[in-house]
Amino acid sequence: MSERAATPTSSGPGRVLIAVYAIFALAATARAAVQIATKFSEAPVAYLLSAFAGVVYILATIGLAGTGPGRRRLAWAAVGIELVGVLAVGTITVLDTTDFPDDTVWSLYGRGYGFVPLVLPLIGLWWLRRTRAR
Amino acid sequence: MIGALVIVVYVATGLLAVYGLVRAVQGRHPGRDTRVGVGIVEALLVVQAAIAAFRVLGGGTALPEQGTFLIYLVVSICVLPIGLQFAVTEPTTRWGGAVVAVAAIGTGVAVWRLAELWAAGSV
Repeated sequence: MSERAATPTSSGPGRVLIAVYAIFALAATARAAVQIATKFSEAPVAYLLSAFAGVVYILATIGLAGTGPGRRRLAWAAVGIELVGVLAVGTITVLDTTDFPDDTVWSLYGRGYGFVPLVLPLIGLWWLRRTRAR
Repeated sequence: MIGALVIVVYVATGLLAVYGLVRAVQGRHPGRDTRVGVGIVEALLVVQAAIAAFRVLGGGTALPEQGTFLIYLVVSICVLPIGLQFAVTEPTTRWGGAVVAVAAIGTGVAVWRLAELWAAGSV
């Protein structure tokens, strides 16, 4: 086994992945900002969760777009939290809708967004693993 | 918004996405024609956004989710130029076209959401 340095996550197909993350960061954060600003009292838990998801997407984008071990750790953490988040919120919303009166990005495993929120962290983790130093 | 223009925008973003993917499959870097393509689609988006913003802010149309609508309007304009910039700075040739395709698809989805929000206001 030859030693190999980490490949930058922003190279090659990683560019496409970052583009998708950036679009989700923009869409989720913007939507949450509007919801919190205009009708926060209607569904505070859902809107705070939307905002949290937006921040996770932003951190994942920053982590993946950067270079170096610090950014890579950030990407691992953000994409990992994203996967846990979409699985947890997805499961809760499938079992019981009363706690979530309004949609978030992660509701029903991201069905409202073509299940991209479910697939994206899996691809993200795979890409981080593939480009790591070994 | 204008129904016909929305359909033109769908077709334009769709064509741009296909073109970007073809470039990626061919392994060719986004060149001048990709820039021209993005420029044409972007011009359509700006015209659409200007008309929609004028109608909403001018008071002619009341939308149930005006804030969301206006933000999506801004998103629909911003994604392609940023995507193109990100695509052409990609040092290895192959993946720039795919980045343009992702930006085009994202823009198409934003326009679709815009059309939905608009339809909710004009019932």
